Amino acid sequence: MKKDKQIKLALKNCGSIDPEKIENYIAVDGYKALGTCLGEKGSSEIIDVIKASGLRGRGGGGFPTGEKWEMASKFVADQKYVICNADEGDPGAFMDRSILEGDPHVVLEAMAICGYSIGATEGYIYIRAEYPLAIKRLKMAIDQAKEAGLLGINILGSGFDFDIRLKYGAGAFVCGEETALIASMEGKRGTPVIKPPYPVECGYKGKPTIVNNVETYANIPVIINKGAEWFSSIGTSGSKGTKVFALAGKVKNVGLVEVPMGTTLRELIYDIGGGIINGKKFKAVQSGGPSGGCLTEKHLDTPIDYESLKECGSMMGSGGMIVMDEDDCMVAVAQFYLDFSVEESCGKCVPCREGNHVLYQILNKITHGKGELKDLDKLKAISEVVKSTSLCGLGQTSPNPVLSTLTNFYDEYYDHVVNKKCVSKQCRALVEYKIIEDNCIGCTACKRVCPAEAITGEVKGKHVIDPELCIKCGACIEKCKFNAIIVE
Amino acid sequence: MTCNKNKNMINKLTDICNEFNNDPDDLIGILHKAQGEFGYLPKEVQIIIAELIKIPSSKIYGVVTFYSYFTMKAKGKYPISVCMGTACYVKGAEKVLKEFEDKLKIKNGETTPDGKFSMSSLRCVGACGLAPVVSIGEKIYGSVKVEEVEKILSEY
Amino acid sequence: MKKIKTISDLNAIRKVLENDRIDSEDKKVIVKVAMSTCSIATGSKKVISFFREQMGLEAIDSLVVQTGCMGLCHSEPTVIVSVPGKDSVIFGNVTEKKVNEIITSYIKEGNDIEGVLLKKNS
Repeated sequence: MKKDKQIKLALKNCGSIDPEKIENYIAVDGYKALGTCLGEKGSSEIIDVIKASGLRGRGGGGFPTGEKWEMASKFVADQKYVICNADEGDPGAFMDRSILEGDPHVVLEAMAICGYSIGATEGYIYIRAEYPLAIKRLKMAIDQAKEAGLLGINILGSGFDFDIRLKYGAGAFVCGEETALIASMEGKRGTPVIKPPYPVECGYKGKPTIVNNVETYANIPVIINKGAEWFSSIGTSGSKGTKVFALAGKVKNVGLVEVPMGTTLRELIYDIGGGIINGKKFKAVQSGGPSGGCLTEKHLDTPIDYESLKECGSMMGSGGMIVMDEDDCMVAVAQFYLDFSVEESCGKCVPCREGNHVLYQILNKITHGKGELKDLDKLKAISEVVKSTSLCGLGQTSPNPVLSTLTNFYDEYYDHVVNKKCVSKQCRALVEYKIIEDNCIGCTACKRVCPAEAITGEVKGKHVIDPELCIKCGACIEKCKFNAIIVE
Repeated sequence: MTCNKNKNMINKLTDICNEFNNDPDDLIGILHKAQGEFGYLPKEVQIIIAELIKIPSSKIYGVVTFYSYFTMKAKGKYPISVCMGTACYVKGAEKVLKEFEDKLKIKNGETTPDGKFSMSSLRCVGACGLAPVVSIGEKIYGSVKVEEVEKILSEY
Repeated sequence: MKKIKTISDLNAIRKVLENDRIDSEDKKVIVKVAMSTCSIATGSKKVISFFREQMGLEAIDSLVVQTGCMGLCHSEPTVIVSVPGKDSVIFGNVTEKKVNEIITSYIKEGNDIEGVLLKKNS
């Protein structure tokens, strides 16, 4: 078993303690970091440790966590807020859910530490309503922590008060953006606003607010317990610590893995992921969800860190890693992501609302066999505009799947528009169903199942498909027992 | 709608809004509870909430239509959701969705005439290891194959 | 849990809880069943109650507890079994039949059996 490439920090307790028992958490150094902070450390000392550790936001942006805390701590206000972004909307990522379900207390402890160091007494966890089990366990954990005096008034006799409440998301991807998230918490439509001012200055209810992601918080207690130096010894020069990835798609060992920053994509996909299923050929890996890009064979030895992924035209994102094989059409994949971005665009700014829509239309045209060569230039030009002129992170990154597939899989686009061929046979309009005469025994099974009556032939005679009538539903292939029907 | 039914609705919504101190900041929490209670958020519900927490009903309509979790249409007794997240998409969720549509003779977003099933697609339930994923009510089905759709439906 | 009033109280309680944990690991067979959304969808609720039932019937000094996601989504339901004096092992794709095999062959007779995803040093 090649699991030794993994180092578990954020997932330290996931899968080893009972998440519904606070005693289990305390027994494995739980709330020790909070005790240390309250007892021995001043606010600036904690912030210095986090800064020195080099921890950066794990939600995708990669902003240095310590710096964020420092900024919020410096603003003077009668109230400040600590928010945990648990609105994991990136399709294909589920590490936040796993942490919340498997180790809810670690997030509570980290939020309390954050509150203590910036001078906030209220915390909120903004969580997706689609995660009922995580919500249940968080509620349980909050109740237990309050009962044990680890949340609430005068925590551990230190005079520090901190309380945490849950707020629910309602299925809007854009709410992962911090200003949109705050708008949503205030009961409004989740549309982002122009920054600055940043939430650290003017956030929830107009007060200084820290918004960090679940995985970022999950790293805090271990940094306090083991020290900044220890933490920063893991990873690369610019990206410290580990990152959790949700490995999914056409890979053997689908699952959640945590590796040091700087691990290569190859190690992740082959050594830990076990390679591609059904002995197929690796084609691409998509990191960073709808904001990321598709990387290819030639990127496999890229070390995974914030900068390297960006250079290749993708991004870290929240850590979804979708592996694709030879059966996946990259144009259709780009179209899939654009469909997502079109639907999830909040509609506030024009480039994102209209630009993504136009990109989608062009991709749709191409996958339906009506594309022209000049469409490829258009795709590129519009993508650049959307990227550089959108208001928030959603629009600034939504063309990444298009741009990265255009760069890395130009041949495939070319095939679609010029030769009207889809090598992966995914684009229905570009394939043709045919019967191989030698294999057909004339059993009539395909003829009977065809909903379009496109197949003709007598019993025991050779059958043919009329391409004019064929709707390419594939029903005949499923029925044919003699491998006589092929897709070209 | 009869008077009685309406009164009942007002009472329930008053309780829900009170739970949140009639705070417009908690509108999303209120809407979650209300949808849990009535199954959907028709115009009447939105108007009553608007009056209770003293904000324009247009604002509530804006919020309800913004978030995909909220619906203004009644769902079936057994709401079927096919996950269309990336992992599920790559593993053939589209075909599974189509099979459900064909078997139930309704389109995505519709409810069967008898009100038993409704169909929707959603974005990632975070169970990507089990792709493609289908949820019916609270139950989650993993690694669903097209051939299994009929059997799954027969459970209900 | 009783209210913890000071930091030294917290440290004292941790000591006790830590010792309890190590103590039970030394003496008891510990079975941890992953109970996250994915695991439950593949039947881990059935697995945990069947484990409890069977361990009771066999009168094995054991703790059967739930835990979070182990990250091995491809093989849910997953179960960690720790027998005193041995490395913990993780079994994947556990069914009721597999539970019986784990109890009789792995725990009681001490044989190596198939279905081990990985060994880990507890």
